Amino acid sequence: MSLEDMLSELLERIRGALEVDTAAVLLLDEDRGVLLARAARGLEEEVRQGVQVPLASGFAGRVAAEARPIIIDLDHAEVVNPILRQKGIRSMLGVPLHVEQRVIGVMHIGTLVQRDFDEDDVTLLQLAADRAALAIDHARISEQRAVTEIMQRTLLPDALPEIPGLRFSVKYLPAGAGIKIGGDWYDVFQLADGNLAFVIGDVVGRGVLAASVMAEIRTALRAYMMQGHKLTRVVAMLNDLLVSMGRSRGATLSILALDPEAEELEVVTAGHLPPLLIEPNGRTRLLEQRHGLPVGVRAGHDYQSSSYPFPTGSRLLLYTDGLIERRNESIDAGLQRLTLAAEAAAQRPDSPLADGVYRALLDETPLEDDVALLAIETMPLGNTLEMTLPARPNVLSGLRKTLGRWLHAAGADENELFDIALSTSEAAANAIEHAYGGREATFTVRCERNGKQVTIAVRDNGRWRTTRPPGGGRGLEIMRALLDSVEVDSDEEGTTVKMTKELSRQA
Amino acid sequence: MSSLRIEQIDGQPVAHVSEDIDAANAATIQQQLAEALEPDALSLIIDLSETRYVDSAGIDMLLRLSDRLDYRRARLVLVIPDSSQLKRLAAIVGMPQAVAIHPSVPDALGEATRSRARSTPD
Repeated sequence: MSLEDMLSELLERIRGALEVDTAAVLLLDEDRGVLLARAARGLEEEVRQGVQVPLASGFAGRVAAEARPIIIDLDHAEVVNPILRQKGIRSMLGVPLHVEQRVIGVMHIGTLVQRDFDEDDVTLLQLAADRAALAIDHARISEQRAVTEIMQRTLLPDALPEIPGLRFSVKYLPAGAGIKIGGDWYDVFQLADGNLAFVIGDVVGRGVLAASVMAEIRTALRAYMMQGHKLTRVVAMLNDLLVSMGRSRGATLSILALDPEAEELEVVTAGHLPPLLIEPNGRTRLLEQRHGLPVGVRAGHDYQSSSYPFPTGSRLLLYTDGLIERRNESIDAGLQRLTLAAEAAAQRPDSPLADGVYRALLDETPLEDDVALLAIETMPLGNTLEMTLPARPNVLSGLRKTLGRWLHAAGADENELFDIALSTSEAAANAIEHAYGGREATFTVRCERNGKQVTIAVRDNGRWRTTRPPGGGRGLEIMRALLDSVEVDSDEEGTTVKMTKELSRQA
Repeated sequence: MSSLRIEQIDGQPVAHVSEDIDAANAATIQQQLAEALEPDALSLIIDLSETRYVDSAGIDMLLRLSDRLDYRRARLVLVIPDSSQLKRLAAIVGMPQAVAIHPSVPDALGEATRSRARSTPD
């Protein structure tokens, strides 16, 4: 049974039990500060016409604003809703719908003849209202769950990228009772240059409006960033876009780019809480930026970027205010608690950082605001590096970066690194070009080091061809010139390009 | 795409490539270069100072572009600093035989000016 049907049935029973002519339920829309008619008996027009009563005005508005039962005589009262007068209602009793001290709406009854409602009427109606409030709350929670699920599916990344030597973890929790979609979001994606982009943000307000602005911002950010603009330019362009679109809701955000090979992190913040960096030695650092206004507020604002070293063992925590803010507490106290929780969680590297921080800060506390939490951790790459990648050319730049990081750790100098990374990229491009299996196709890259010797095998599943030269000739020419050995093996299962090079020194 | 920024220095087009050229973007960059080139341009300078990798797809693209420019008596000039790994790579694939390579944009501009002078009737 739908919530509306359930409420209608309840109202019908109230009409009988209390011997009244009309009964109605209005629910509060907190975003707009109005009560909306959701179910009615004897007053069906209210629902059909979508009656809206501003909070604190009119009869229902007063009941909600004062959060207490009110009895009125329409002959002597001001009533906002003309339907009540047209219907010829003379006397009314309204009670608030409560969920945990919060008013979520109003239930009222009315009679066509003058009637003095007494204490028993009030008690009985309040009892019915409490029951209805509970049912409404349950229905909204499950509705919220459904909406949240759809949101997560459409507005948040499908899956976090899988990059060897990087661990991502996420917590995303829209808070509270009622249909309140949060304006918090996060994003992780690979840029054209092979670097990784991270975004965390919070649109002012909640509900579907905040969520739709968040969707706009997310799309604009991805578009600008994937075009290869500098981070400061990306935020400036987004800011100007939002101002020009007349979006009344501003947003705070941080965008970051990580170069996994150069081990460098660039940060631009627009009014958002500072990202928390945990250095390999366990020291924590809040990456504060003073001059970044929230986006969508003032056109032409200049944003600044800062860069930080991000060597193996570094961790980064991006979050929204719901993670640290508590009633009656300063932001500094919240940041202090976050820092302690992150330091403690960093001592337990077996479990992902976001999980540990979330458990420490929120497990026991009911959420007062929505929370998005994204953690990035760099781990050492072992002697062997193995990657299975989708057979798409846009994976090549990221492959070279990850390989570059591994080769640095293996002790390769700049020339050797260039030779091996470019040759592997050639072999990979060839595997991609001949991949079999359409969108699902993948290829694997396996890198091993043994003393000074580096061996790399790139394997595809192009099983419908038995022999072919990689790279149409020139690719193979380059690989042979740069490496010690290149072997191409094709069998029924696919083609493997095996390459070796001896480094001049060992790490 | 801003991986490519094209500026005119004294009427001479200079294309700065700020990222790797590989199988993922060679076709796009080729198209952007073609769009940027005036039909009567005598040379095109491609600045690879900030480019780290160019794979065989990128080299093929540059050589094709050079052929097309040759056909209309224009020149392709590449800027590759002496410290760049691309200098070694260019030698391996025999690029210096096909394309003029200079270590900096001012050097390349000098070459472009000379080729303009050559084509000016006496």
